[in-house]
Formats: sequence, C-alpha cells, structure tokens
Amino acid sequence: MILMATEDVLSIRDWVRVATDFISENTIGMSRHWEYTDSVSYFLMEFIMCVMVFGGIMTTLLVLLWMERKLLGRFMDRRGARTSLRSLWVGENGVTAGEWWNQLPFGTGVPVGMLNKFLNEVAGNDHELEVVSRVKNRSYHGVWWLLPGFFQNLADGMKFLTKEHMVPEKADRYVFEIAPFLIIATTVMCFTFIPLSPNFYSNDSEMSILFLMAVFSVAPLGVFFAGWSSNNKYTLLGGIRSAAQLTAYEIPLLVTVLSVVVLSGSFNLIEVIEFQADSGVWNIFLLPLGGVLFLVVMVAEVERIPFDMPEAEAELVEGWWTEYGGMRWGLMFASEYLRTYAACLLFAHFFLGGWEAPLEDTIPYIHYVPHILWVFLKAWFMFIFFVWFRAALHRVRTDQILEFGWRWLLPLSLVNLAMATALRLWVYDGINGEWPLLIPILITSISLALFILLSVDEDPEALEAQTRPFSVQTVDVASPGQHRE
Amino acid sequence: MANEISAKQVLSAAKEIVADVADFGDAVNAEVRHHTGGRRKNAYVYIEVVASEWRELALWLKKTKKVDYCSMITGIHWPENADATWQVVAHLMRTGVTNPTVVNKRVHEIKVDIASLSGNDVPMEFEITMTIPDTREPSVPSVADIWVGADWNEKETWDLVGIDFEGHIGMRRVLLPHDSPTGYHPLQKQHKLRYHDFNEMYDDAQGFGRKPEDSGRVK
Amino acid sequence: MAEMWISMGPQHPMTHGLWTLKVKVDGETVVDTEPDLGYIHRGVEKICEARDFTQITPYADRLCYASANTWSHAYIYAAEDLLEVEVPERAEYIRMVAVELQRVASHLMWLGAYCPDVGNLTGMVWCLREREMMMDLLQELGGSRMHYNFPRIGGVKRDLPIGFALRCRAKLKLFLERIQEYEAILDESTIFLVRTQGVGYAKAEEMINHGVSGPNVRAAGHNYDVRWAHPYSIYDELDWEPSVERPSIKGSDCYDRYRVRVEEMRQSALMILDGLDKMPGGADTHYQSGDPAILGKAPARAAEGQTGFHHFEDSRGESMFYLAGGGDGRGKHPYRVSIRSPMFITIPYASKCMIGYKIADIPAIMGSFDPCIGETDR
Repeated sequence: MILMATEDVLSIRDWVRVATDFISENTIGMSRHWEYTDSVSYFLMEFIMCVMVFGGIMTTLLVLLWMERKLLGRFMDRRGARTSLRSLWVGENGVTAGEWWNQLPFGTGVPVGMLNKFLNEVAGNDHELEVVSRVKNRSYHGVWWLLPGFFQNLADGMKFLTKEHMVPEKADRYVFEIAPFLIIATTVMCFTFIPLSPNFYSNDSEMSILFLMAVFSVAPLGVFFAGWSSNNKYTLLGGIRSAAQLTAYEIPLLVTVLSVVVLSGSFNLIEVIEFQADSGVWNIFLLPLGGVLFLVVMVAEVERIPFDMPEAEAELVEGWWTEYGGMRWGLMFASEYLRTYAACLLFAHFFLGGWEAPLEDTIPYIHYVPHILWVFLKAWFMFIFFVWFRAALHRVRTDQILEFGWRWLLPLSLVNLAMATALRLWVYDGINGEWPLLIPILITSISLALFILLSVDEDPEALEAQTRPFSVQTVDVASPGQHRE
Repeated sequence: MANEISAKQVLSAAKEIVADVADFGDAVNAEVRHHTGGRRKNAYVYIEVVASEWRELALWLKKTKKVDYCSMITGIHWPENADATWQVVAHLMRTGVTNPTVVNKRVHEIKVDIASLSGNDVPMEFEITMTIPDTREPSVPSVADIWVGADWNEKETWDLVGIDFEGHIGMRRVLLPHDSPTGYHPLQKQHKLRYHDFNEMYDDAQGFGRKPEDSGRVK
Repeated sequence: MAEMWISMGPQHPMTHGLWTLKVKVDGETVVDTEPDLGYIHRGVEKICEARDFTQITPYADRLCYASANTWSHAYIYAAEDLLEVEVPERAEYIRMVAVELQRVASHLMWLGAYCPDVGNLTGMVWCLREREMMMDLLQELGGSRMHYNFPRIGGVKRDLPIGFALRCRAKLKLFLERIQEYEAILDESTIFLVRTQGVGYAKAEEMINHGVSGPNVRAAGHNYDVRWAHPYSIYDELDWEPSVERPSIKGSDCYDRYRVRVEEMRQSALMILDGLDKMPGGADTHYQSGDPAILGKAPARAAEGQTGFHHFEDSRGESMFYLAGGGDGRGKHPYRVSIRSPMFITIPYASKCMIGYKIADIPAIMGSFDPCIGETDR
C-alpha cells in the first residue's frame, strides 16, 4: 500500500502524509474520536514538514557563517583573487601549519596530505626560507579549509550552552525573559513560509507572504523589550535606536514586497516563483530598483553594518543585547543570521526565480540539478553582498539612517510600486504568457545606465579647487546630519 | 622659503621682550637665556617674578606680547630652602597661531612665511618662575581665565605638589583618586619613595599585597 | 526623555585607554561632558626623582606606549639641555629617523583604531598590517617592538644596522603606495565623509588658548609646528613641510584632523627617505656603539640650580620635559622631573567639543583627537 501511495515520487510532503495517515488511522482512527483522524494526520504532517524545513535551514546556516568568516578574512586582507585563492593551500617549506589530517585514525587522512603536498609543489611557496617582508608572505593555511573551519560554529554553540544565565538585579525579570522568546520564536516562524523546493515546503497558503512579513516584523518589539528591561542606559539607547531604525525600514520593505506581489499576482510565495517560471523572466530584470531596495532594506532590517548602530561596539558595547549571557545571547546572535538567511532566501524567491535554473532551455542537462540546490546557491550568492557591505562600509549614524530610510528609500519604493503596477496592468495582462524579451532588456539597461550616471558624480570644479564633496564651507548653520545644500 | 626660524630672529625677538619687561620694575627680572636642542642653541626669555605680580605680568604678556599658549604650570618643593620653599614654574609660548582667513566664503589656510617673521610674530618660549616662602598653604594667583590651557595644569599642580591657585574655579583631584586624603600631595619631599630598590619589594612583609587601608575603595 | 548621565568608561571599547567620560545626554544629544582621568597614574614624575639620568629614558618610553620614541627623545633633549651636552650630527640624523618612523607608526595605530570607531573593521586590519612593517624597522633600530630605550644622552645607543637603509627604503616605498589604499576606503566612502564632516568643530585660536597643539591645530588651518617654530635636531636640512588642512568656516572637523594625519604620515616617510640620503657618513656605514660619531660625552651629575627643558613635537601635539638638577647622590638624580603631556590638556578640550552633537559622534570626535592615556596619566 505504501509503495505507490504517492503520485509524485519526489514529493516529500506526500510521503510524510502517507506516513502520518497510517499512524493516525491506526491510533486515532481506532478510538472513539475517529472523526479527527484526518485533522490529526494533517497536523502531524505539517509539524514534521516544519521541523524538516527548519532542520535544513539550520544545517545550511553553517555554510553562511563559514562564508562570512572566510570572505571577511579575504576582504580585510585585500590580497587579490589569485593570492586569496592560493592562500588556501600555501605553506612554508612545503609544510602546512596544523596538518590535522595526520591525527585521523587508520591513516584515512593520508590522501588529504598527499593532495595538499601536491598543490604546494605545483603552486606553493619556494622550498627555501623566504626572507621577504612579512607583509607579503603571511598565509599558512592548508587546502582543507572546509571542514575544520566549518565546525567552529558548532563549537561556539556548545560554548553558549555552557555559559551562565544572568539576570541583572534591577532588571524587569519577566520582560527580560520574554524578549528573547519573542525574537527567536518569530524568526523561526518565518521559515515555515519559505519553500525550499517544489516538493519540499511546509506551507502553501494563499497569504503566505503576508503572514511572513507580519511575523518578521514582530522582532523589533522583542528588541525594544530587551533593551528596555535590562536596566542599563546603554541597552536602553540601543533598544530605542533599534526600534526607530527597524520601524523606519519596515515600510519600504513592505512596499517593495508589495510591488513584487503586484507584479506576480499573488500573495502566495510559491505562486510568485511559478509566475517567474511561467513568464520566462526573473523578477530582477523587471524590477531592478526593487531588487536593490530590497537588499538595502534587508541589510537595515537585520542590523548589519552599515546599519548596525543599535549594536555599535564603539559606543554601546553590544547594544540592546549587552546584558544577556549564555544561550539566550547565542540564540539572538543566531537569530541575526537566521534573519539574514531569510532575507537572502526571500531575495532568491522574489527576484531570482526561486528554484528555477537559469537559462533552462539553452544549457543542456541543467534540469538534472535539484531545485533545492538552486535555492541554496542563489541565497548563498546573495549573502556575498551582505558580507561585502560589511567589510567595505562604515557605520552610518542613527539619525542619518533614519533620514535615509524616510527621505530616500520610501519614495523610491513607491516609485518601484508604481512601476510594478504599470508593468502588470498595462503590459502583462495583455500578454498572459511569456514576457517579450524586449521589456526586461529595456528595463535592465535603462536602470544600469541611470546607476552608472548617478554614481559617477564627479564635480570637476570642486576637484580643481580641492574643496570637499560635501561643502561645509558656508556661513549657514548646518546640523550634523545635513550635508546637502 | 626658509625651512625654520633662524637663531638670529629668535635672539633679537627675545632681546626685545626682555627690554620691555624692564618697565615693570623690581618685581620682575627678565633675561635672555639659551637652551640647546641637539646641536642648536635657541634663545628664550627667562623671567623671575614675585607671586603677587604674576597675574599682571601674565595679562601684559598676553595683550602686548601676544603670548597665546600656556604649555605647563608646575611646582617644585624645596624644603631646605626656608625663604623659597615653594616654586612655581610656568612655561608659556608665543605660537602666532591665528584663525585662517576667509575670502569669498572660502577658507584659506595659513602657511607662514618664516623668513619674514619679526617682532611680535616670532615664536618664542618663556620660562617664568616665582617662589613662595615657607608656609603650610602656598598659593599663587591663577591664570586659568587668561589661558584655558592653564586650567588642568593648575589642577595637576595642586593635586600633586600642593600649591593652590587663587581664583581657579573647579579645583579638584585630577590624577590622584577623588577621595585622596586632604593634604596628601605626593610630590612634596617629605613623602619618600617606597621600594626604591627592587629588593625591598621582596623583603617587605606586605610586599605586593594590597594595603589594608585600600580595601573597599571605590575610585 | 529626561536628561541622564551616561558613564563611558573606564572599561569601554571606544575610549582608547583607561579613562572615564561622563556624558549628559538629552535623548541622543550630548548636553554636557566631564572627563575623569588618573586611572593609570603611575607616579612617573616621583619615581624619576630616584633614578639616574640614563635610567629615566625607559620611563619616558612607557609614557605613551604607542609613540615611545617621541617621548624618550623629548626627555633626552631636555636632559642634554640640563647637562649641557653636545650631540654629533650623525646621531641627530639617526634620531630623526627613529622619531619619524615612530610618528608614522603612531599615526597608523591611530587610524587603525579610528576606523572601527566609525564602523569599518577592514581599515583597522590594513593599518595594523602596515604598522607591522614600521615595527619591524623599529625593532631593527632599537631592539624591541615597543619600548626601545634608543637615545642616549649625547647620541644614540647604536648605529643603523647593516642593511637597514635598504630595507627601510623598500618598506617606505611600499608604504607610500599603501596610503592610497586607505584613502580609497575612507575618502571615497560617502558614509565616512558623512560621519566625519561637519562633526566636532574646533577653531585654531580657541585651541591654542586651550593648550591644544600639533596635528589638531594644523587641521584648523595654521601650519604651526614645533619643528620649525622652536627648532631642534636637523629638520632644516630636510625637504619637508608641515601638513596643514584647509578647514571650514566654523573650524576644523574630524575629517580635517584625519586628513592632516594621513598627510603627516606621507611627510614623515618622505623625511626619512630624505634623511637616509643626506646622512653624514652615509646610511650604509655602521659605527660601533659608543663611537664618538654617534655618541658624545655627557656628565652624569647636575648641580642644584641647573635646569633644562625642551619642547618637542610629539605625534599628538607639543610635549615638554622640565628637569631641575640637584637631587640625591650629589646631583646624580634629578630634583624634579616635570612632564607636559599634550593629551592631558587636549582631552578636556575634546570633551567640550562634543557638546551639541549626538552620542554616535562621540567616538568619531574623541578618536579624531587621538587620545593616548599613557601620557595623560603618567
């Protein structure tokens, strides 16, 4: 009965459903509450699917943390692409520091050592001691950077579990304990609404995007609770800054998401992806402004540099989560990365076609790559931008963040919404099939041209006189946030 | 353009100042001295003044001689010298720094033409000393309102040496803890250095241990 | 929200040292400040009253640990004034090399600490990377990475090591290119400009009246520098000029102070390269320690009544040592050592500068004045 129970062999939902039906029929169905068989089975299936989805997310979260560490290291060292790549296996005198593979039992690490040695011979340092400026010769890593670095975060997690949970003496105890729950619970809840593959999702409701955004937006409340209840002036400041910042950026976020929804015609995330599949063009080529806006707003929503004023180390030590220790801090730290991951996945779903392979018709055999892998690859690719911003940019001051959000991002997001509406009503509804190739090409090239023109904003007269780009040499009073004349 | 002030410019400017100071009479004695800077000998103005005339001299220096910078005000305790037990040494400088000029709403920085400096524009160093006879509460007038740079210098001098400055607003402990005992000024000579020789630290019973009177202290 | 006092310090990532800044805030705006120093007051002035003149040099090194050579040289010039010692010319050149290398290293440390203050962690790693080059050079010269005890009364402890000139020129040429990287990540970043321009205004005459000097005053538009105004050493034989910035009408802001120090790094690097070319005897000759070409004779005692002082251009402003002779051991120890620290006077002024700006500007403003608490507390 179980063998060919499902129509679609790949559909994990169906398999789980079969299993829970079986369980439910043989337990509830035999009892006097047999009319609840179906609902219990459905509930169990949903529960198992949520756990599986979240399990998949948590496992692949390690990839994100590893990427951040490695990329930040390479960015900060700024040694160029070739040197950075080479640094992965270079050792001195043919010896690589650590050589952990020799510790593996039964000699299983020997092939690893042989590969490392081969790479060192082919493209490593000279086999003499190099008396060169220390600055140029500082990479002592082995080629198998993957695994040992990978487990760093598990070690971190275990460390957090063993640390003491302290509540400050005069803190408001109930609010102090509730705040992390709010933050973490709502963050985890987000992931129920994110599908990982056409066969592996936990939620297919009509309003999934709406729920998702609603749940995502509860976290600022938890942040404010945390900042206020710690009885600490620093955390209070951090909490207030955070609440102001996150609230300010909710609106452009919602308007941008709305524009994608308008273009795709449904609040259901799966249908947004299917729209991109059916219409043949990824949304980013139709709404490039929306993509950029979504990225910037999400960087602000997850409080990463350049928008991490609420937890700015320079002034507030750790901001609103200073007083938390142990796993509560660890989970809030994880929730920052979980929200970043959710943002990357959402970007992939909204703008990059979700689980669709690029150029499906032209590249042969590409449909053999599993859909779930496409989703993760796109999300991880977007994360590179997050890390890049963090490495290269400075921290923007709170009132400047708020000014940026209200004065610039909100109007731009409304412009984006207008464009999406225009595209849907005037262009798409007449076609109802695939976009003609002209439209995305036109939109993308105009946007690129505008972007290049706006970013190359040199003022030759100013450069000549060596005055500064933000002229502060006037007799008018200028408050520190105002730098535009 | 010359790279630095020449010794001649400095010497002639110093002589001018010394000549003008003579107008003050007996209370003030000025002379030109030289101090070395490696292989150089730079002239500077050395003035001895009676403590009661210090403020007048300071005001005159600031107004007529354009002395704009107070480098340091410090004190020395000479317990063996009954009529000059407390000495205050003030180091002032004339830097010639002015705000940059504004032309057409644009600021132009000042790059001094060194060779053309003369008279009151020549940067100059001053060393001014005054002494006070033996007393339990030495005090000289404060110049913190003339040069704000003297403010914290005077706080430090009172804190460490014990010389008070009349007219100084907000005198408080600045390097020692705020709750140090009244009358405790470590740079006075009756406070001997503990542990001068490192061997003593090992032999002392207390040694590296915390002094009992320090327990419970909040800084 | 009512006004409240926040205490930043003594343990705080921003303060660049051990001190407390109490800030009264009204919402996010700073209304009043009160600095509290003295946490690492080590009593150096009192200790030096029981030390020989040569034993004081290591204490001078440890005053400002980020800029050790400038402080030990400041002391040595004052001691030479007290003891009336003549210094050979080659020793002066070697001292100049040491002092300017230290100035570059100190400014790199400042920039490496200033970048994270405004949020950019990458700048910190880059600056410290270059500082390692300077530390290597200083280690070759002085023997250790931080506290060198390099100058002696009458000269220097030892001559330039063999091959030093070659390595120094190579590293400084590399460094001059790397400065452009810092300018790329900072000057071309809108966020950095917006964070540092228009923040922390300070005018030149006000600063001089408050006792602030050095790069902070040069950022405000006047090129006053102790090295040409009250000359010492051989700076007149080198091809250099003090770096001065054109400020705004309201005074110099944090951006000006940042630019002045970057230009100073360039100038110091060029000065060293110039000095190596012009060194009497050549930069590649190596005299033994104690050779009269690098060390003159110096008496060991100073009688009562003798005094000596010297104003020195430290990385952070104008520093001064005042020595009075006649201490213990018939004058072997000084009777009084008085140390003038530029930062002791600048920190209260910088605290006043912050009033009217936001809390988030506090690290930007405080960092731009380059505080170092070792010399502040002595």
